[in-house]
Formats: sequence, C-alpha cells, structure tokens
Amino acid sequence: MSKPSSAIGGAHPLFYPLLLVACAIVMVPVLWMLSTSLKNETELFRDPLLLWPEKPTLAAFRSVFQDYPFGAYIRNSLVVVICATAISLAFSTLAGYGLSRFRFGGRGAFLAFLLLSQMFPSVMLIIPYFKILKSAGLLDSRLGLIVTYVSFTIPFCTWMMYGYFRSIPTELDEAAAIDGCGAVRTFFTVILPLALPGMVATSVYAFITGWNEYLFALILTNSEEQKTLPVGIGQLIGQYRIEWNELMAASIYSTIPLMIFFLFLQRYLISSLTAGAVKN
Amino acid sequence: MTLPKTLPMLLSLGAVALVPALAPSPALAAGELVTLTVLSSTIVEGPEGKAEQGFADAFMAENPDVTIEFIGVPANELYAKTNTLAISGEMPDVFINSPEFMAQAHDLGIVADMEAVLGADYLAGFADGPLAQATVEGEYQFAPWFTIPNTLLYRRDVFEEAGIEPPTDWDEFRDVAKQLTVDIDGDGQTDRWGFAMVGSNNGSGAGRFFLVLRAHGAEELSADGDGWVTGFDAPGAVAAFQLYGDLVADGSVPPGPLQTSYGEAVSLIASDKAAMMITGPHTIGAVLDQNPDMAGKLAGALLPTLEGVTPQINLGMFGWAVSADSEHKELAARYIAFILNKDNQVAWNLATGRLPTRLDALADPRIARPELEGFIEAAEYGYQVPTARFYPDLFGVAGDNYQAVIIGQLSAEEAATDAAARTERLIDNNR
Amino acid sequence: MAREAGRRSPAAAARSRAGFAFVSPAMLVMLLLVAYPLAYGMYISLFRTNLLNRWDFVGLTFFVQSLSDPGFLRSLFITALYAILVVSGHLLVGVTLAVVLASAIRLQVLFRAILILPWLFPEVVVALIFRWIFDPIFGLLNHVLETIGLISTQVAWLDDPTWAFVAVVGAAVWKGYPLVMLLALAGLQSIPRDRYEAAALDGAGRFAQFRYVSLPGLAPILGVAVILEFVWWFKHFTIVWLMTKGGPVDATNVVSIDIYRTAFQSFDFGRASAMAVIVLFICIAFAIAYRWLVPDEQA
Repeated sequence: MSKPSSAIGGAHPLFYPLLLVACAIVMVPVLWMLSTSLKNETELFRDPLLLWPEKPTLAAFRSVFQDYPFGAYIRNSLVVVICATAISLAFSTLAGYGLSRFRFGGRGAFLAFLLLSQMFPSVMLIIPYFKILKSAGLLDSRLGLIVTYVSFTIPFCTWMMYGYFRSIPTELDEAAAIDGCGAVRTFFTVILPLALPGMVATSVYAFITGWNEYLFALILTNSEEQKTLPVGIGQLIGQYRIEWNELMAASIYSTIPLMIFFLFLQRYLISSLTAGAVKN
Repeated sequence: MTLPKTLPMLLSLGAVALVPALAPSPALAAGELVTLTVLSSTIVEGPEGKAEQGFADAFMAENPDVTIEFIGVPANELYAKTNTLAISGEMPDVFINSPEFMAQAHDLGIVADMEAVLGADYLAGFADGPLAQATVEGEYQFAPWFTIPNTLLYRRDVFEEAGIEPPTDWDEFRDVAKQLTVDIDGDGQTDRWGFAMVGSNNGSGAGRFFLVLRAHGAEELSADGDGWVTGFDAPGAVAAFQLYGDLVADGSVPPGPLQTSYGEAVSLIASDKAAMMITGPHTIGAVLDQNPDMAGKLAGALLPTLEGVTPQINLGMFGWAVSADSEHKELAARYIAFILNKDNQVAWNLATGRLPTRLDALADPRIARPELEGFIEAAEYGYQVPTARFYPDLFGVAGDNYQAVIIGQLSAEEAATDAAARTERLIDNNR
Repeated sequence: MAREAGRRSPAAAARSRAGFAFVSPAMLVMLLLVAYPLAYGMYISLFRTNLLNRWDFVGLTFFVQSLSDPGFLRSLFITALYAILVVSGHLLVGVTLAVVLASAIRLQVLFRAILILPWLFPEVVVALIFRWIFDPIFGLLNHVLETIGLISTQVAWLDDPTWAFVAVVGAAVWKGYPLVMLLALAGLQSIPRDRYEAAALDGAGRFAQFRYVSLPGLAPILGVAVILEFVWWFKHFTIVWLMTKGGPVDATNVVSIDIYRTAFQSFDFGRASAMAVIVLFICIAFAIAYRWLVPDEQA
C-alpha cells in the first residue's frame, strides 16, 4: 500500500512562522471561547473588554445543565449519532464491497444514484421526511433522527467504502474462493479485517456529519426531551436573553466528544486516507 | 309477585349502568395519567418562564393526575413552529395564538371552537378591547392572556437629569435621541445612545416598525371592502423609512442595529447603553431581571406621532387556544381558566409587567403601578391587527426594506415602493 | 469489467445474487429514504400547497417564476460565489498547510493536532463563536482593532453587506480547511519519493517540485474533493443562517436559506420545492461539467 512516509523537502525557514500564524488563527477563537465560558455575568459585558476573566468561574458550565435540559441534549446526540454511525457503517461497508466485487442488474444505476443523491439541497428533503416519519409515528423521536441521519450518510459512506474496497486486490477473494470460502465467509474473514482503516475513516465522517447536523434535528423534533445538542445550542441564541458564557460553555461540551473520538482514531484516519488515495 | 323481588335488582343494575355516564370523561378518570401539551413562547423567557412554570406546577399540584408538558419556542419562531406542528399533525393541546397569527391558524383549521370550549359566560369576563381583537369571521380564536401595549419606554432618570420630557412628535424624537447620545466618561467613546432600535429582520423588528409607520399616518395593511390594501407607499411611510435611516446615520443608535433583536435591545437598556426603546411593559421585568439597579428608572410614554395623526398602539396580545384535534379539550379549558384566574393574572403582572385581560384582575389596584402608567394609558389606543392570513409575511417585507435603508442600499422612496409592490403581490396571491 | 451479454452462467447468476444481497440494505435505505423523498419533493413542486388543506396544481408555474425572479437568481449568484470562495479558501489553506506539514519540520504531530481542531467543532458552534467575535460592542475583533488603533469607532461588521459576506466565508474556511488538509496530506504521502529525487536531480527547486510532482500527484484526490466540496458548500445552511440569517437584507442570502424561508416562514412549499429542484439541476450540471473538463478514471 503506502510507501513509508518520509518528508518531502526540508523545513524551509518560512514554514515555522507560517505554521505559527495558522495555529494562532485556529487558537484565537478557541481561546476566546474558553475565556468567555469562564466569565461571569458582569465580566461578560465589561467595557472595555476583558481578554481573560479576572475571576474565572465554572458557573456557566454548571448553569448550562441547570437552566436547560442539557443532559437530555447530550444524551440524544450521543444515542442518535452513535447508532446512525454504526448502522451506516454496516450498510455502506456491505454495499461498498458488493459494488466493488460483483456485477448485478442496477449496479450502474445505483452508483449514479449515489452521486445524484448528494446534489439535492437537504433543506427540501425535510417536508417529505415529515410525511414519512409522521406516518411511521417517528416524529420527535430519537429513532426518527437515527433513520434520517442514516439516510444522509449512507450515500457518501458507500461511495467511500466502494473506493476503499477497490484498493484491496481481488486476488485475495480469488484465493479465498479456491480455499472453498463462499462470498460471505470471504467477506467477513478475509476482506473485512483489511478494510478497517477505511471503515474508520467512514465512521469518522458519519459521526462528524451526524454530530454537526442542525436543520433536520431542528424541524423534526419538538420536545426538549428529544432535541439534540446543536439544536439546544442554536436555541440559546434565539432566547430573549443571550448568555454568551453559557453558550460558549455549551459549545465546549459539544466539541469534547468529537475531540475524544478523533484523538483515538487519528492514526487510522491518516493511514486509511493514504491507502484510499493511492488506488484512486 | 316477582316484580317486588326483582325491583331492587333492576334498580341496582340501573344504577350500575348509570355510573359510567355520570363519571367524569375518560380523560379524567381517577388513576389515569393525562399529559397536556402546551406550546408557549413565554416559557423560554426570563421572569416569564419562572412564573409560567409556577402556574403549571400549581395546577399539577391541584390535579395530580395531570402532567403539563411545555414545548418552548422563542416568540420569533412561534408561528413557524406552530405551522410545522400543524402540518405534521402534532399540534399540542394548548398553544399560544395572537391577532397576527390567528387568521393563518384559522385557515389551517387548527383552532377548536373556543366559545364552546370556554363557554359564553366565561368569555364575558374579558375586557372588551382584547376580546374584540380575538375573532376571525365572528369566531373566537383564543382566550386573551395578556396585553403588552407597545409604546415608548424611556429612562425617567436620564430624562429628568437632562431636563426634558418624552418627545411628542418625530422631529423631537430624533433630536432627543441625538441629545441623549453621550460620552459620559470623556474617553471619546459613546457610552450611552439615545435609542435602542430593534432593527432585526423578524417579527420583533417589523412589529415595532409598523408602529412607527402608523404613527406617521400610514398603515402597512388595511381592510378595503372584502380585500386588503397597502399603505406602504404613502408619504407617511416614506417618512418612516427615512426616519430609520436618519436615526442610524445620526449615530443615535448603538452599533449593529440590524442584529439587534428584542433580546439584544433589552441587554442594551439593562446595561445602561440606551435611553429609549419602543416596546411593552414586559421589558421592564426583563431589564430588572438582568440588572436590578434599574428599578424605578424606567417608565412608559405615548409614542410620538406626526401632526394630526391619532396614536395607534399595538396591544401585543397573546392568548391561549385549544387545538381542534385535542383529545383533552375540557382539561385544556380548565388549565386556561386556571392561568387566567384573578390571582394568577395579578401574579403574572407583578412578575412580568404584562397587563391582564380579565376584568376582575384589571380592577385590582396592584396593576396600576407608577411604572406601568404610560403603558396602561397607551392601551386606550389599541388597534386591530389586520386579520389577513398572510400577515406574518409582511414582517420580511418590512424588514428587508428598513434594513436596506439603514445600510444605505435603498432610498426611503425606493424602500417604500418595493414594500408596497411586494405587499400587493401577497394580496394578489392570497385572494 | 465486461457485462454479461444476455446469457448467464449459474455461477454468474449466483454472484449476481450475492452482490445484490450485499448491496440490498443500503439500497433499501436509499430507495425509501432518498429516492422517495426526492421524488416527493419534485411532486410537491407542481402544486401551490401548505401541505395541510390546500393542494392547487400549478404545473411549472413556480419554476418559471423562480427563474425569472431577480431575487432568486441573485441568491443563486451569491451561493455560487460563496461556494467558489469557500472551496478555493479550503484548497489554498489546506494544500499549503499540507505541503508544510509534509516537509521535514519538527513537532509535526503537535502542529497537525492543532490545525485539525476547527473541523471538530460543530457548525453551530463555529457560527456562534464568530458571531460573538464580530459583535459590534462586545466583540473581540473590534476590541483588538481599536487597541491597535486601526479603527476609532465600533464597526458593525455583520451589518455591512460586504463584510458580512466576508465573515461567513471566513468562518466557513476556518471550519472546513482541515478536511482538505488531511486529504492533501494523505495524497502527498502516497506520492513515490523517487519522483522528487528525480526532479531534484533535474535541477528543479522546491517550487518546481511542488508544481510538477506534488500537484499532479494530488490531482486525483483533490479532484473528487473539489466536486464534493463545491456541492456541499453550495447547499450549506447552518453557518450562514446562524451568523446572519441571510442578511443584511439579502447580502448573504444563500439559496438554502432562501428555500428555508420560502418553506418555513412563508409556508409556500410548492415554490420552495421548485427552487430546490432547480438547485439540484445546477449541482448535477456542475458535476458533469467538471468531469468533462477534468476527467479522471474514477468511476
């Protein structure tokens, strides 16, 4: 697969300043977010502005849970996104494998449709989704959101897994067939282990997409009990009283799971992107 | 001979048969838990939310088999949310309705027969003004809950210090706004501006603009026989658009008027950054919630008007409607009556400044507090919001245009013409 | 990859069935939850409807009206501009940083970890942070600029049509460049190093090496990325909506906001659906045009 990743070119002296500037551009909003979340009411609207709170406090982090059903928001996001990612991963891995190894009627159409489905403005799919979820009694429910998010991520995930499987040589399948393995055995015991990095990349994409998602969760949920994190945070802006410290605290909460998720899977993500890239 | 013996048996059988008919409706049968869903915008606001939850808690304490479940939505998203729920068939049992929205709600068929649900006797207990504004085609659309007459809110102490009275016409208003834009500590930075304009492109901003419009003698929409006609291109309207542009150009408005919605404006008043605002008495409560030091410093006055124009004040009324599809209409009616009972109406007023609509509450002396005087007076000039199904669409029509004038993209005349044209298209599309 | 021509051996038929089996869960989901809503969306576009009690057939009226509505056309233009600027920003920043990170600099892991951060923030959060930074009175940007002395009064950035547009583009570039950076890094690492040695031997300097070895090596992976990125950001909603709601007036009124407003504020679902179908065709046209201009073997 990939060559050992040796460096391309030496470290030009301009590189370090460039990197520092880039890091500053990244970190300034992040630190400002942190600083705001640690301020209390009066420090928040201080004039002139306080760059860092004089009396940092975790009050906002606490009151976010007290004033709003934040526990519910987090729980809903976790449940919905983890389930949707798992299902999407499973279906798209199977489909990607099927597309890359087999010929069957409708294959071409399916591939074309995978691409086509990316092109429709999601904002318009909301109304049909209403009807579908309403008839199934799934409005304002986590299950309804799971179904919705699965439908979002499957096209792209299938495409990703398809590309990834194409980079795994078919000689392996043939060898397994010679050994007497049927298609299913071949898939699960021979190919699947090799596909792990690709699956990681796919699940990272699916997770981030779901975790991010705002519009559908906004429209398809009503009760506080079912709202997801992005919707909960978005609501805080619409309130009659905008508590920026609580907003920033909520934002920090909503970023942590992604960071943890990403930290663990970083290595696999890079290597899988590499592998996928080679054969593409 | 057998009859006397069987008579007791027949009687008891009859009694047993009658019991179900005499028992309360299934929804209230003892032991069965009922959830009443309520769509409310006030539940997510400052002092309002606490008070409203208090009412719900008290109701639940009195009715242990009932759970009140709130669906909270910010007021500017209320109509969108209600529409969405209606379309998806998920209407809650009880929802907030208003004169701006009731025509649309009526059109969607989501309002129960309020007269039947509440009873004519109960309806007679409402003040005439609010009640009259709650009908579409002669049918009541909601039980009025409160009014928040939108007029001029001003810093009494700042005006006293400057030795001036609240302005009575718009030229004076512009001058006062400029005069009250001050640099208190002499550091070259403005510390307080004259007027906290709500220039956001939504109901909060447009609603206030309509008041300025009407105070210039023009009406965004008015009845014309069976249909509607717009006054967006009247000379008064041009003057209103021009005023918005001028106020910002004068520097009398805190920076960022286009992003200043109700919440931001409240924060500006609360943090002593603005001296005037067009709003209702509920803002006093919201400001005090953020900054208790403002107690006693805020008061209401009648909005300035152009020479010869009768004041027109939006009552900002909200009320409770029962959903046509609700399975708990009786219970809903009881909940509504509970919120509207005298004690709760007065408590609501004390906590939030919103004015009651029930005659018994209005008679309570605690309502007529000094800081509410100006608002109560303004309520005399309440006007009927046009009951057009497409009325909420006018918010965007106005918003796009006053924002365009403020940033100098359109002149006042162009804005007025565009607003009128778009309104006429709406009128046509909805014939 | 020749297709079977009519006659099928039992083995081929069995393989066909197997293939079908693997694909069926995904296909089912796609049919039910993608094809059906798509078709339904197109169906709605032919009616003036509030989805509840009014369904008036109007045929292609909304299509004609939208395509001749200067407001809609303007939002299409704004959206295209937005997508182009954002994707270009991603490419510029992402590829540059990838090249830097792929060189022999030290602390590569640390830098990479920091530079990936923006991608991990939900769009809602990004919109919020930047809105707070751009706040006229309490925002960080005004404070810093005033302290340095670049401005003397507080600027209402999001109230100005041009700056509001710059702000939403900036926030989107900040949020999205890490993905392109990762893809470019992966692409760079897959380029055989001997090509660089050969180029160096031929006397190519650093920049020439980038132009003649790195870029061609990156082309396949970036090619796909560009299409997907353009389509994604053409359809983008969240960051613009939460920062400016499409304002001031209509300066940042990207088409998805226009559609959202038409559907959920004016409740004109038929018109909104027609607008969405138009966007669909635009994205398809773009993908086809791009493929035609920049062909590669990805199928």
